[in-house]
Amino acid sequence: MEGNSVESEITRRSLSIYLPISITAALLFLIAASVTGDYPTVARAGGAVWVGVLSLIVSMPLITARVKKRIKARETHN
Amino acid sequence: MTTLETHETTAEITLDVRGMTCASCVAHVEGALTDLEGVSAAAVNLGLGTARISYVPGLVAASEMKRAVHEAGYEAQERSQGLDALDRERQARSEEIRRQGRNLVIASAVGMLVMIGTFYDLLGPLRSWIPEWLSYKWVIGLLTTPIVLGPGRQFFTNSWRGLRHGVTDMNLLYATGIGAAYGIAVINTLFPTAGFGGEGATFFESAALLTAFVVLGRWLEALTRGRTSEAIRKLMKLQPKLARVLRGTAEEEIPASEVEVGDLLLVRPGESVAVDGLVEEGYSAVDESMLTGESLPVEKKAGDPVIGGTLNKSGAFKFRATRVGRETALAQIIKLVEDAQASKAPIQKLADWVAGHFILGVHMLAVVVFVFWFFFGYRHYFDPNSSFILSPYRLGEIGVFGFSLLLSVTVLVISCPCAVGLATPSAMMAGTGKAAEHGVLFKGGEAIENTSKLQTLIFDKTGTLTRGEPSVTDVLARSLPPGQAESPWNLRADAVLRFAASAEKNSEHPLGEAIVRGARARGIEILDADHFDSIPGHGVEAAVQGHAVLLGNRRLMSEREIAISDWLGKAERLESDGKTVMFLAVDGRAAGLIAVADTLKEHSGEAIQHLHRLGLEVAMITGDNLRTAQAIARQVGIDRVLAEVLPRDKAEEIKKLQASGRRVAMVGDGVNDAPALAQSDVGMAIGSGTDVAKETGDVILIKDDLRDVVVALEVAKATMRKVKQNLFWAFFYNTLGIPIGAGLLYPVIRLVVSPELAAALMALSSVSVTLNTLLLKRFRPSLRGGQPLPRAAQGAEDPRWAGAPAASD
Repeated sequence: MEGNSVESEITRRSLSIYLPISITAALLFLIAASVTGDYPTVARAGGAVWVGVLSLIVSMPLITARVKKRIKARETHN
Repeated sequence: MTTLETHETTAEITLDVRGMTCASCVAHVEGALTDLEGVSAAAVNLGLGTARISYVPGLVAASEMKRAVHEAGYEAQERSQGLDALDRERQARSEEIRRQGRNLVIASAVGMLVMIGTFYDLLGPLRSWIPEWLSYKWVIGLLTTPIVLGPGRQFFTNSWRGLRHGVTDMNLLYATGIGAAYGIAVINTLFPTAGFGGEGATFFESAALLTAFVVLGRWLEALTRGRTSEAIRKLMKLQPKLARVLRGTAEEEIPASEVEVGDLLLVRPGESVAVDGLVEEGYSAVDESMLTGESLPVEKKAGDPVIGGTLNKSGAFKFRATRVGRETALAQIIKLVEDAQASKAPIQKLADWVAGHFILGVHMLAVVVFVFWFFFGYRHYFDPNSSFILSPYRLGEIGVFGFSLLLSVTVLVISCPCAVGLATPSAMMAGTGKAAEHGVLFKGGEAIENTSKLQTLIFDKTGTLTRGEPSVTDVLARSLPPGQAESPWNLRADAVLRFAASAEKNSEHPLGEAIVRGARARGIEILDADHFDSIPGHGVEAAVQGHAVLLGNRRLMSEREIAISDWLGKAERLESDGKTVMFLAVDGRAAGLIAVADTLKEHSGEAIQHLHRLGLEVAMITGDNLRTAQAIARQVGIDRVLAEVLPRDKAEEIKKLQASGRRVAMVGDGVNDAPALAQSDVGMAIGSGTDVAKETGDVILIKDDLRDVVVALEVAKATMRKVKQNLFWAFFYNTLGIPIGAGLLYPVIRLVVSPELAAALMALSSVSVTLNTLLLKRFRPSLRGGQPLPRAAQGAEDPRWAGAPAASD
């Protein structure tokens, strides 16, 4: 049970970091596409989704691994 | 389960890990295990599908390790040993081959229909044979869907499982590639005016063929993975199932696993020896090639050792079991080869690290490629008439998003480092297996890598280069003209040796024993001495057939006032060759002299010459005096001699050589030379027989044959050559493919790589690596080419008495 609560804490804290990062990346793309050119709406939205998905894929393992290390270190310390 | 107590506080366990597909998975499983408190090290082998873990019992349990692997997205179970494990591994491999084969049939058959439908307009007269409805977009979509959801589902489920645990592997590359192509195709089919490129940008065939090619790669991998561990399979097959035990006067057939130490066993011609033991009665020739690489059958008589798993060729004999179960030579060799294959060479650690970080890098690159083509590239370079490489299919009305996405997806697929994970372990497995066939056992991947880089080899003298016991090398007598009769002080050489051996018959001195052995070897009759007296430090005196015989050194002759001046010149010449000279006097007059020396082993000179030809520096180290050492070095062709070095100082001498930047191997007998073997970059223990577990070297040469040093070097170099070639092929496609896939050449050639072509290139990369590794099976050592295959490969003469019957792979 204790292991499960640690796991869920890792998931929760990681999610709270990588999800905003991905959404920010997608929004930045959307803003850039809106500002820099006359792109169709679907292309802008599709591009934002694709950049968001790729950012999620990149940030998810990196953030999860770091959070996991930090929480495990804290558990060991306690 | 394989659990081995390594020392007081740590233990080792080996787990079978399923679900790993690439080097990235290796890094994740290792990370999950080493994160556990109490785990000191974990080495994961992708080829074998194993994880070898060093841990502290009490701090962490096997169940926690399995849970950690499970949480990382893979399945783990404790590894069992012997034939059961072999059967399970074979069964699991067959199931995987069947599963991927089924996927391949579905994906390729339906994918072919998708291709026909997609290129319907280009088929010319063939169109009359094909229904037109096959080219409808929604039909193509309907055909593609079962491919993506059937054979392609594994990539989505595996990536999701990994992502949930913060893990990315190559499944993710395929899942994003297939998912993006399929998703856009569905949108463009159902909503052609949505702005994603319309009907001109339906990539159903990309999704279908991408899946088919990736599944083809998986199927080929499943076929070839495991074949490289054939060496262990062969060794395990050697384990006999039955033993014929003698209980009183009765014979009893029992399972070989139930034989106990001390049991008396009977072996008939054509049967395998069940366990290790000592022959008590009978005579035969036994084929030991499968364990020692020795091609000729070895004669066995009372008192000789026999090895379990070897094949009795001619006569019947009885032997007493001395080692059974895990203690047998065969079990030790299997353990050693398994450990070597499960361990990791430094080059492999580097490759795993690169591949582990590569996938994230590729996803970052995919973002960069997408953003570049979206904001800049499409506007400046896009040409509606451009097409895919090796395809007449034009990009046509594809929009900015579709085009940028296409290149981004292609980069993901073409970058997959799937072959990197196989490149090193597959070659290491093939190399260690090939070496074991020739009686050379490497204790790990690091030993192979270090052996391949050696610059200097240092040989111990006594027992390594030489036989380690003195023998008669020269017998000098007065030259009698033909026909002239012998007198007690005018003897021919045979008579000199007969008198000397008769005088020494009761001696226990090593030189005396050498003379007796020398006489016997020459078929000379040895007489009983009437009187024998040993004179310590000088020699012996005896009475033989009524003659007073004196055999000894100069001092003895001088004290007894025997004139030896005529012999001194010859004696000095022999002594300058490192030989010990003894004078023989009969009835008070010098009659001849006998030289005794430690002689070279049969193949020492040949091996040293070959090492010189390989460009290696060869040196000799010995505690013996410089003159003797130089004499031996001269005979064998060694130009650097380190003489009068005490055993404890040998390691220091090696350290000095290492300090000068040389990579040094020490070749010794494995017991006396333990510190030097440990200090060297590679310690080679020679002539250990089959008691391999006791040896301290990194490389164990079972036979007492120095040519095996050359075999070890050649296997190591061939293996590392193969590793480098494999890494080249693994990265070649990526290095070449990524810039092209990213559209670097598009502004010039107006061609793009389709995702399905990218997948085909990646499958080709895996196939190149595995086929290249399989070429190592053709390796033959240069000094003993054309050796017959071990009997294991040919099948035992009586299958009941051999190991498990060969199963069809």
